[in-house]
Amino acid sequence: MSDTPPLIACHACDLLLEKPDVATGQKLFCPRCKSQLYQKKTDSVNKVLAISFSGLLLYIPAVFAPLLTLNAAGMNQDGSIFDAFLSFYQQKYYFVAITLFLTSIFFPLFKLSLLLSITIQIKLRLYSRSLPFLFRAANSLDEWGMPDVYLIAIFVTIIKISSMASIHYNLGFICFLFLTMMTRATTSALDPEIFWQEIDRMKKYSTKTAAND
Amino acid sequence: MIEKPEKRTTAMDCGFISCHDCGKLISAKEIPEGFQPACPRCSADIHARKPHSLSRTWALIITSAILFLPANLLPIMRVDFLGSQEYSTIMDGIIYFFHENEYGIGLIIFTASVLVPLFKIIGMTIILLSIQFKWKSWLRHKTAMFHFIEFIGRWSMLDIFVIALMSTLVKFGTFTSTQAAPAASYFTAVVLCTMFAALTFDSRLLWDTESSNP
Repeated sequence: MSDTPPLIACHACDLLLEKPDVATGQKLFCPRCKSQLYQKKTDSVNKVLAISFSGLLLYIPAVFAPLLTLNAAGMNQDGSIFDAFLSFYQQKYYFVAITLFLTSIFFPLFKLSLLLSITIQIKLRLYSRSLPFLFRAANSLDEWGMPDVYLIAIFVTIIKISSMASIHYNLGFICFLFLTMMTRATTSALDPEIFWQEIDRMKKYSTKTAAND
Repeated sequence: MIEKPEKRTTAMDCGFISCHDCGKLISAKEIPEGFQPACPRCSADIHARKPHSLSRTWALIITSAILFLPANLLPIMRVDFLGSQEYSTIMDGIIYFFHENEYGIGLIIFTASVLVPLFKIIGMTIILLSIQFKWKSWLRHKTAMFHFIEFIGRWSMLDIFVIALMSTLVKFGTFTSTQAAPAASYFTAVVLCTMFAALTFDSRLLWDTESSNP
């Protein structure tokens, strides 16, 4: 690798520009197409570590504990995020069920556990060859986890059924609310540039020590 | 080596490829010929432009436009109430909320299930046509529109989540229950197709039209 000049290209219009120093809290926009290029964040690795860990603690009750209990005509009915996936599955809408499973159950867990393992590896300087791949996966699959959309759907459902039944909020609702906040918070604390620099540095160090051995 | 970049010089013009996954700038000279180049930092496949971007995006947008019809015309939900079955389409659900004076919720569902998919299909068609016919005006606005389409893509799933929750929670034996209906599959397919279309599309193609003929 030769010494690459400090140039960057706009991801949206490919304009080549010299990378300016971006202060914390500032955002860098492309002068040609006005797309946001970069936003510097502080202490990204530590924050992502803490937030993804607390998100994971909430995950099991958020997905498997009942969200709401409905009471109508003397009958009680409750349901969790997992039950909602099962109901589509039992109605034989397999395509929708799989999409539901991925977007509301699998990808939120996938994102948080990937980010936790990546941050732990960075903190402990444990380089493995899969590390760049894992971080790439965490970034590119981010938009497929949709707990935030689901949360709005829960509110819409509450308003829809509030006229026909009395509603009790359960543990799952609170946990899912905070799980959503945690997944959003990891996205806003994550500074991919810092992560890539750390990963790059660990990679170089690991190849250097391997050569010395 | 490399001169200071002039105004309106793209990375491709200077022999650079920026990695789409991690943004690293890679000199095309470092890439051995005959190999599928991979990013040295994140090991993703690198391309100066996303491969077959236009045809893939066209295919996905046309697919979602076709699927949009059954998604809206067929019933998406079935409500059983004391033995009678009532099917409702997406529009029926929205009209129901307006009748019940729940304008806020009605608007949210209308935006997420009708406006957003429609906006995505029409917006992407405008963007694709402007690349095909090399229209060079409003590039900045079209780029902003594309970023917006990327951002709102996921929010169309709202109605599917609501139906999933309704069919789980509203299950009171013979008294009343809610079930999904065929449009749910079509609607999910529309959302997925438009999301994939945003992924396969390369907004740099918009700007290539500008630099092609000075």
